[in-house]
Amino acid sequence: MATATARSPIILLALISLFLHPFLSASLSPGESPKGRRVLVLLDDLAIKSSHSLYFRSLQSRGYDLDFKLADDPKIGLQRYGQYLYDGLILFCPATERFGGSLDQAAILDFVDSGHDLIIAADANASDLIREIATECGVDFDEDPLAVVVDHIGYAVSDTEGDHTLIAADDFIDSSVILGNKKIEAPVLFQGIGHSLNPSNNLVLKVLAASPSAYSANPKSKLSNPPSLTGSAISLVSVVQARNNARVLITGSLSIFSNRLFRSSVQKAGSSTRHEKAGNDQFLTEISKWIFHERGHLKALNVKHNKVGEADEPAMYRINDDLEYSIEIYEWSGSSWEPYVSDDVQVQFYMMSPYVLKTLSTDKKGVYSTSFKVPDVYGVFQFKVEYQRLGYSSLSLSKQIPVRPFRHNEYERFIPAAYPYYGAAFSMMAGFFLFTFVHLYNK
Amino acid sequence: MARSTGDDAQALFHSLRSAYAATPKNLKIIDLYAAFAVFTALIQVVYMALVGSFPFNSFLSGVLSCIGTAVLAVCLRIQVNKENKEFKDLPPERAFADFVLCNLVLHLVIMNFLG
Repeated sequence: MATATARSPIILLALISLFLHPFLSASLSPGESPKGRRVLVLLDDLAIKSSHSLYFRSLQSRGYDLDFKLADDPKIGLQRYGQYLYDGLILFCPATERFGGSLDQAAILDFVDSGHDLIIAADANASDLIREIATECGVDFDEDPLAVVVDHIGYAVSDTEGDHTLIAADDFIDSSVILGNKKIEAPVLFQGIGHSLNPSNNLVLKVLAASPSAYSANPKSKLSNPPSLTGSAISLVSVVQARNNARVLITGSLSIFSNRLFRSSVQKAGSSTRHEKAGNDQFLTEISKWIFHERGHLKALNVKHNKVGEADEPAMYRINDDLEYSIEIYEWSGSSWEPYVSDDVQVQFYMMSPYVLKTLSTDKKGVYSTSFKVPDVYGVFQFKVEYQRLGYSSLSLSKQIPVRPFRHNEYERFIPAAYPYYGAAFSMMAGFFLFTFVHLYNK
Repeated sequence: MARSTGDDAQALFHSLRSAYAATPKNLKIIDLYAAFAVFTALIQVVYMALVGSFPFNSFLSGVLSCIGTAVLAVCLRIQVNKENKEFKDLPPERAFADFVLCNLVLHLVIMNFLG
């Protein structure tokens, strides 16, 4: 009962913001985050909460409200009264065969389909449920349940010789949007299962790839057949950005997030430098900023177009009109909306195919603009901006505008080049008049 | 041979001229009127070939008004010619009234199409 009374003002606020939404989104409010900060964390057992506390603390220090639950807790629910209670979901429950409460695979996919973010960590004994969710997101974990990623060349040096399943990976994706501006110096320690990307899914990206010498097999048994996954085709950490800009992180290792590997020092085999601290902390913190839309989230507003020399937006253009088009694009920096600066934003003037494709020029304050001539074709056109760049949320805007031909009275009445024709026509009339008299009175 | 061809052409031209001299005066006026119309049409075609076909509707209406006038004049000439036995029942007043009506329709269309 106490929780219900505490929640009701929140629901009220949510309702008010829902009604105000069209007005709020039209104006640029600098402090408004693109996504909320309520995150549900599902765990196999509550010991993970303390053994992975460094990662959770880094999230909490950035303002996330983490709600820890056991994966088989019967009270789990992502929705209440048709509204999502959370903005993100972290699945640190690789062994769970069934979720408690109303949560199942379809509910998680609906959660992503409605634009929410997801982090999935599998492990050596990953359940079919976790594997299936990952498959739906476009990655396939190695089907052998005992297989883990082994690398006899790129392993992390430790005191005991071991079986080379703790590997030091440093093959990062080359994207400062996803991994931050600061280069990750130390290799990331990884211990878990590998996955491959589904080639038919072009939304999934390999963020951390295994080295070419890695393979996925059971380290305890003799290798009789060639392993199904080898080399840099193995992905250790992958991300997906769905078409609705929901972001998903998938990794085959839960221990990659653990305090043990966060604190551990790392030396890659064959390398003489020993880093005091593994790259896990920086890598996973930076990537979680991306996953939860603290970085690489664009928004476009104030799409405007008008005839050159006029301020108002017309309801219709005429062929061969000169027009101006402008749009504002901002990027969420984690605390405010900053102007997005790039030289590759393009606008299309589109009717079944682009008739005009122009690169917009920016004033470095977020406003992109260009001007062009409407083609000599009439019909229903669209202003289209389709902006998809690695790491950035995609922008897809279109605005319909009809283009009409010249009106009947918009042509010139008398064209100088046609004067001989006018003269001929009138001389024929005058000739007819004269001829009538001559013919009648000539007897 | 060439000499005799020239003589023949000259003889032919002479006979045509003398035959034409016998044509009634009102038919000669109609011929002059039709020739004037065809000449004006030719001038416009040459002009169009020089400056291009831009106001094409104006060009068409200018040329067609001339051609139409010439055709209607020839029709009138056929009908009022006394030697033409085909129209001997048609009174020349009726032929002239037809000519006037057709010209009015023609010029109405031409004025609408001129631009």
